[in-house]
Amino acid sequence: MIDPLSKAATAADIARAVASGKVKASAVVEAALQRIAATEPTVNAFTDIVAERARKRAGELDAGRHLGPLAGVPFAVKNLFDIEGLPTRAGSKINVDGPKARRDGALVRKLEVAGAILVGGLNMGEYAYDFTGENAHYGPSRNPHDPTCMTGGSSGGSGAAVASGEVPLSLGSDTNGSIRVPSSLCGLFGLKPTYGRLSRAGSFPFVDAFDHLGPIARSTMDLALAFDAMQGWDPEDPVCTDRLADLTVLGLDEGIAGLRIAVAGDYFARGGEPEAFEAVETVAKALNATRRVVLPQAAAARAAAYVITAIEGAQLHLSRLKTRPQDFDPDTRERFMAGALLPGAWYVKAQRFRRQYRAAVLKLFEEVDIILAPATPRSAPKIGQKMMTLDGVDLPVRANLGLYTQPISFIGLPVVAVPTRAPGRMPIGVQVIAKPYNEQAALRVSAYLEKQGVCASTPA
Amino acid sequence: MDQKPDVARWVDEEAKAIGLPIAPEYRANVILNLERALAIAAPLLAVELEDELTPLPVYRP
Repeated sequence: MIDPLSKAATAADIARAVASGKVKASAVVEAALQRIAATEPTVNAFTDIVAERARKRAGELDAGRHLGPLAGVPFAVKNLFDIEGLPTRAGSKINVDGPKARRDGALVRKLEVAGAILVGGLNMGEYAYDFTGENAHYGPSRNPHDPTCMTGGSSGGSGAAVASGEVPLSLGSDTNGSIRVPSSLCGLFGLKPTYGRLSRAGSFPFVDAFDHLGPIARSTMDLALAFDAMQGWDPEDPVCTDRLADLTVLGLDEGIAGLRIAVAGDYFARGGEPEAFEAVETVAKALNATRRVVLPQAAAARAAAYVITAIEGAQLHLSRLKTRPQDFDPDTRERFMAGALLPGAWYVKAQRFRRQYRAAVLKLFEEVDIILAPATPRSAPKIGQKMMTLDGVDLPVRANLGLYTQPISFIGLPVVAVPTRAPGRMPIGVQVIAKPYNEQAALRVSAYLEKQGVCASTPA
Repeated sequence: MDQKPDVARWVDEEAKAIGLPIAPEYRANVILNLERALAIAAPLLAVELEDELTPLPVYRP
């Protein structure tokens, strides 16, 4: 039995202990706040800590109110989620001058209804245009497994806070890979659900066409508990689905019987370092997955995702780029500016192509249930590193850590990033990809890999 | 015959056209980022699409 006050405790461990009365939510929150105070100088995950609010909420729980499936679980959110009374930074300096949030974002409210306790806001790449976890205003989030290395981004603090054991659960956003990249580099389980599955109301946008929100944790069960608590239609997010919630916790132990699992070839089998493909092979072997499939035109899909991102992102920030360019992070400013200069025709072509690519990939899912692919082309680069060598080619880190995640989020497929780690090496993740709305299958595979001891996440 | 675009001129002229001031100290990096975007976009630009292929007006995955 894991001590619910220790950094190794999962959300499920804590909720069980709090619900059974073995430990007070107040004690769990104090332990988390102490770990945060002790660990922050190393990992720089938090930008805001809401200690008093968390203590008050824990007191309410201990008084017998609001017990739920996440009772007493401390969590933190990427600082693009609204937190009542705080400005929604979205990694920027500019937004701090804006209005303070009048209420929490939709997913924060849903997790708290389930009994979880918000302890703070987390560092991120400015305006989420980032795969590194670096930030010129607030400093880089640091990888708990080696603080000289990147966490990956843009949900860098969301990775660092969970991988260090500060909290067992965080929320991030993923437009092109921003949950899956830090999950891979920090050795964590991350869920990017189907596009539209979870409400984005009360979060700062980046690229509406494929902005997703989701949880990061150290176990599949914790992802499922959080995901189940956050599902449901929300009229405040126009793309949020009105499908009934598809509760995933109950089927988690069903194993992989009946699931047709394949490995993505072609684009997803080249252009990365050997460690990325070794991770996929390790997972494929454990799942007895020998079939290879090709996602047709994946390189064009990545290109289209890049174009849509550059143009939507630049359009969103154009007035700020005109009036306050000096207040942007230099690493995002000139990328946004370049995006503002791309032809509109390319955007429309990218959107037209998306329809064709979506149809082709959905056809593949008539024959398979799960597709495996690398999450990142390599393990964590060093903080400050601008270029990296992938398969013998020198490429900019910032634009390319997501080259395997972009063609998947582009069409909104659900993915669980699962962690692997070879002895003496940094962690690296694998994408377990399912068809739209079949998060359940990806989570079952993740749970099976965990049970087999192939994928595990231990706090640094 | 393909002609390589003059990216520096592209940046200067279009920034002027859309009213986006680009300070001299940012200019080189904007040019670099636009060059990178052009390289990454190339596989999309190479795709031929049927005229009937319209975007999805309401996107559902």
